[in-house]
Amino acid sequence: MSRTHVTCTVNGDPVDFLASDDTSLLNALRGELGLTGAKEGCGTGDCGACSVLIDGRLNCSCLVFAPEAEGSDIVTVEGIADDDHLHPLQQAFLEGAALQCGICTPGVLIAAKALLDANPDPTETEIRYALAGNLCRCTGYDKIIRSVQEAAVRLKGAAR
Amino acid sequence: MTVAADPPAYKWVGTRPIRHDGYEKVIGKARFAADLDLPGQLHAAYLRSPHGHARIVSIDTTTAAGMPGVKAVVTGADFPDLDPTDPNFDVSVNVMARGTVLYNGHALAAVAATTRAEAATAAAAIQVEYELLPVVLTLDESMADGAPLVNEHNVTKFVESDGPSNLATVNVLERGDVDAAFATADLVVEREFDTAHVHQGYIEPHACVVDVGPNGKADVWASSQGHFMVRSLTAATLGWEPSRIKVTPAEIGGGFGGKTTIYLEPVAARLSEMSGRPVKLVMTREEVLRATGPAPASKSRVKIAASDDGELTAIECWFGYSVGCTNDFAGLVGAMSVASYKFPNLKLEAVGVLTNTPKTAAYRAPSAPQAAFAIESVIDELAQALDMDPIGLRLRNAVAEGDPTAMGMPHPRIGFIECLEALRDSDHYRSPVPDGAARGVGTGFWFNIGEQSSATVNLNEDGTATVITGSPDIGGSRASMALMAAEELGIDVYRITPMVADTESVGFTDVTEGSRATFSTGMAVVNACRDLIEELRARAATILGVEQDAVTWVDGAAVADGQDPLPLSAIAARAKSTGGPLTVTASLNAAGAGPSFAVHCCDLTVDEETGQVAILRYTAVQDAGTAIHPSYVEGQLQGGTVQGIGWALNEEYVFDDDGSLENASFLDYRIPVASDLPMIDTIIVEVPNPAHPYGVRGVGETGIVPPLATIANAVARATSTRMTSLPMSPPKILAALDTP
Amino acid sequence: MPRVHLMSDHRRFTDGEAVVESEGATVGAVIADLEQRYPGLGEALTHGASAGVNGEIHAEPQYLEVDTDTDIYFVAPLTGG
Repeated sequence: MSRTHVTCTVNGDPVDFLASDDTSLLNALRGELGLTGAKEGCGTGDCGACSVLIDGRLNCSCLVFAPEAEGSDIVTVEGIADDDHLHPLQQAFLEGAALQCGICTPGVLIAAKALLDANPDPTETEIRYALAGNLCRCTGYDKIIRSVQEAAVRLKGAAR
Repeated sequence: MTVAADPPAYKWVGTRPIRHDGYEKVIGKARFAADLDLPGQLHAAYLRSPHGHARIVSIDTTTAAGMPGVKAVVTGADFPDLDPTDPNFDVSVNVMARGTVLYNGHALAAVAATTRAEAATAAAAIQVEYELLPVVLTLDESMADGAPLVNEHNVTKFVESDGPSNLATVNVLERGDVDAAFATADLVVEREFDTAHVHQGYIEPHACVVDVGPNGKADVWASSQGHFMVRSLTAATLGWEPSRIKVTPAEIGGGFGGKTTIYLEPVAARLSEMSGRPVKLVMTREEVLRATGPAPASKSRVKIAASDDGELTAIECWFGYSVGCTNDFAGLVGAMSVASYKFPNLKLEAVGVLTNTPKTAAYRAPSAPQAAFAIESVIDELAQALDMDPIGLRLRNAVAEGDPTAMGMPHPRIGFIECLEALRDSDHYRSPVPDGAARGVGTGFWFNIGEQSSATVNLNEDGTATVITGSPDIGGSRASMALMAAEELGIDVYRITPMVADTESVGFTDVTEGSRATFSTGMAVVNACRDLIEELRARAATILGVEQDAVTWVDGAAVADGQDPLPLSAIAARAKSTGGPLTVTASLNAAGAGPSFAVHCCDLTVDEETGQVAILRYTAVQDAGTAIHPSYVEGQLQGGTVQGIGWALNEEYVFDDDGSLENASFLDYRIPVASDLPMIDTIIVEVPNPAHPYGVRGVGETGIVPPLATIANAVARATSTRMTSLPMSPPKILAALDTP
Repeated sequence: MPRVHLMSDHRRFTDGEAVVESEGATVGAVIADLEQRYPGLGEALTHGASAGVNGEIHAEPQYLEVDTDTDIYFVAPLTGG
């Protein structure tokens, strides 16, 4: 069994690991790097629970082969807070009760961050379409959307 | 918003603190079962039946056992055969087929290997000789004269029977004389309905890690709604004493009733025992859909009589549920639940029928949504025929305390009328229906259950408290336990650490189901706190040098005349000198669970060219008794509603003729996504349940009961076409619109 | 004499009677008494019913105490998800 040596950046840190060619980035993050925030809900790119940012773009890490991540800059849910504070999305999700079981939460947070990084002032419809790739079965999405709206307000306030 | 008459002035109950376990969940550190890795662990994979029904003539695992990385292989032969009359027989056979595979996807072997890929490759190399048997897939096929037997062990429950059949259960309820009432009624509406199998759709596939040590004891980490149930069912399937198994509940990524049984743990345990290594067993999404319990499909006939002035005088219903391949579905009682109206004359018959499809499981209020879809649709049709407001018609007939349930027993204090009034008076219902849209109303309820719970409250030296329960947290219940404890003890909710402990560290607790956690486990927490306060008063009496009778407990402190209040933290600091550790356990078999009624309203449009339904506005009103943490009560209402919307508009299992599930992925079994929906507005009604110290009614299940009819009623008013078959997917709406 | 209310499925043991009298200080005693009067009924109630007493439903009611004027409703076992 031959494995490829992959070197990349994850949450700002240089990392390297071994992965066979058919290992997904999701399994490499979870198994090799101990970053279990991203989840496998389906393994076929339909649920978004494995969402990560690769070079700033939203991706389903279950659809990326680990060796493809060579040289990339990857952000997972473990990396969106800074040392002292939760990301405003994380804080808003807690205050807004935007999670129940929490299994979809890492993926939703990453997708919401990707949205707000690109569009700091989204409409409700824009938020819903940006999150349409993240399945949630517990919340009915209501509190998720409201929490993203609140986080957007806080981010804009902080930016001034 | 919340509607309550004279709510008590609680300090903590009813507030919205950030849940104690939330931080780990938003930073990705919360540990779900698949997040755990043990040193040296093996990975397991299944061989599942490609046939809908077949006898296993032979299984040869020799090749598989010798393949790279393989450390153990199991088949049905590695598990004891329980007697068919044993209550755990059906679960054990579903965990691993014995002699016969009963559905496409039924597990018949499993392999543990050093990687999952190796395990899957080896499982595929297991050689099985099948003798194909007739496959029965629908209710009609199953009930037909001379239908092939789905499951040779099935004997009908609750009635006398001559031997095995495809009839699982029969329940009949009657009162009055429906024939006479129909004969003299001013108006009668009769309709037939059908619904498809739908899956609970939890985003986390079933997963466990099991480590059987050299002493034969199993350590299990499982994704489950009930770890004591995991222990007992795993023990029964293995033929072990329950005390050989310790189960630690991982965080659970959704259950909704689908994780109130077991699939994996005995298999992982046997593989671990055989290999001497921990075994991690995680289902793929495809396996979840092909081989774990969906909700039953249904057919029904409902006939309701009304007088010209809107009295509902009689109801006659027949409900048929396709419950999958085994007779294990006790939820038919839900079909009996839908007499929310006084109906002096009533006849309900519900049958459960077997098919060669996966063993069904509860999906929130089991069997109620299918029945409510039918009954609430007919009531809406009556409202239209009588030209009565749909809420007005229901208010005229709604049950209240003392009115008989369908089962004859009088209702306790309930809030159905209050919910109807809350919707009637709501901003949504008072605003005009938007142009081009139509409005639908539907109702439902669930009895809720009590059952057994235990709680331990430990005071720490610093005056903080640890509240330990055995109820896996599927919706924020830990926060509710902390809020009730804070209210009782009189300390800040963040001075309390709520946790769910393993089967060796907390007293026996029944499954988190039936909307029971906040009710029953909450009561255990309250009782433990009250016992602890008694102890704190005694300790305070010692410290203050007074009689215990002279000490009262006020705002988290012991108070005696002429003395400064002695706060809990001061007493806790002196635990050793006043008698020892401050720790109390309480347990109970809770009775008095209060039903939770709900009334829903929806405005929607139907695109008559594409058949697509767009929901513009949705309001869910539900009686929570007392909302301990209103945000998580709202969350239950919203979550149940959206599951119901998916059930109504889009979700269904599609089988081919051999019983193979054709849409076994989230792409093709499409649940609602954020862009499908508007905000789900909620109104919490609070009619306290007298049997609970805080008036709690379970809320988790009721929310899924009203949406099917709520949406169907709106579609009917939008298109003048009654949709009687779910899901109301675009092709079916177009077909219905085209039918004269 | 506690009054016992039966579901339709169980009325086949009582010649169609929906409400019957019985004797016993606990639900378990009542069930044993019913088995005496209507052979087969006690068995059916033991395995296939919960007992509704004073507005509360009990899943394993054998030791539940009842008074002479208590109404006992035997109902299908309740569950949930």
